[in-house]
Amino acid sequence: MLKLLLVSPDKDSLSELASALEKEDNVNLSRAGSGARALEIILDTVVDLVVTDEKLGDMTGIEFARRLLSVNPMINCASVSHLSSEDFHEASEGLGLLAQLPIRPGEGEAKDLLQRLKNLKQAWR
Amino acid sequence: MQDGRIAIPSVETGGLDGQRSGHFGHCDVFTLVDVEGGDIRQVTTIPNPGHVQGGCMVPVNLLAGHKVNALIVGGIGMRPLMGFRQVGIDVYYDAIRPEIRPVVEDLIAGKLPIIGDHQACGGGGVGG
Repeated sequence: MLKLLLVSPDKDSLSELASALEKEDNVNLSRAGSGARALEIILDTVVDLVVTDEKLGDMTGIEFARRLLSVNPMINCASVSHLSSEDFHEASEGLGLLAQLPIRPGEGEAKDLLQRLKNLKQAWR
Repeated sequence: MQDGRIAIPSVETGGLDGQRSGHFGHCDVFTLVDVEGGDIRQVTTIPNPGHVQGGCMVPVNLLAGHKVNALIVGGIGMRPLMGFRQVGIDVYYDAIRPEIRPVVEDLIAGKLPIIGDHQACGGGGVGG
């Protein structure tokens, strides 16, 4: 069972992604409305992937990824960003993000994320 | 470091007389040097599984699984650095010398510095 945490102060921005993920049998989905709340959850709960919106109200998605490293660097993180891939790479360099997601990610991005997680689990064996 | 196992990201076939890889995640192999009483007892190599986006923890778990105690890098991202700290592997830094042997000898002699956050990519300074 994969445990995913979606983080956004906006109920709609990750809704399509959430709907696609909830269709999967092996996915357990939870949500947080801010970066701080997500970090609190992670202190008590092991998750396989955190997906953040570009802006979380109290921090950006990239800033969240940076703070996540101090809490648990083993947890994977993907973030929505409007930046070009080059600019995103530079902004997130060294943070080891699993993926950059477009604004309002949907079913395609959900499948891609799950495949990336599967590939990582296979690489760890 | 008088006793333990040292890992060095390496190019091609690695080995004690081989060359270091400038990018931790993209090395060809990890050269593993076993030290006992300050003497080098054994040198082996293990392949790097390969770098995929977000796969920073793969080499962390690989080296932890091989009982590595110390890692010498010329550059590393913040996420794998934090991962190594979490699993108890000390990360040392030398960004100048391309050869493996002299940095290993310096680590054994206690002359290599532990890497600082500012030296890691994504840590606020120059690195990676």
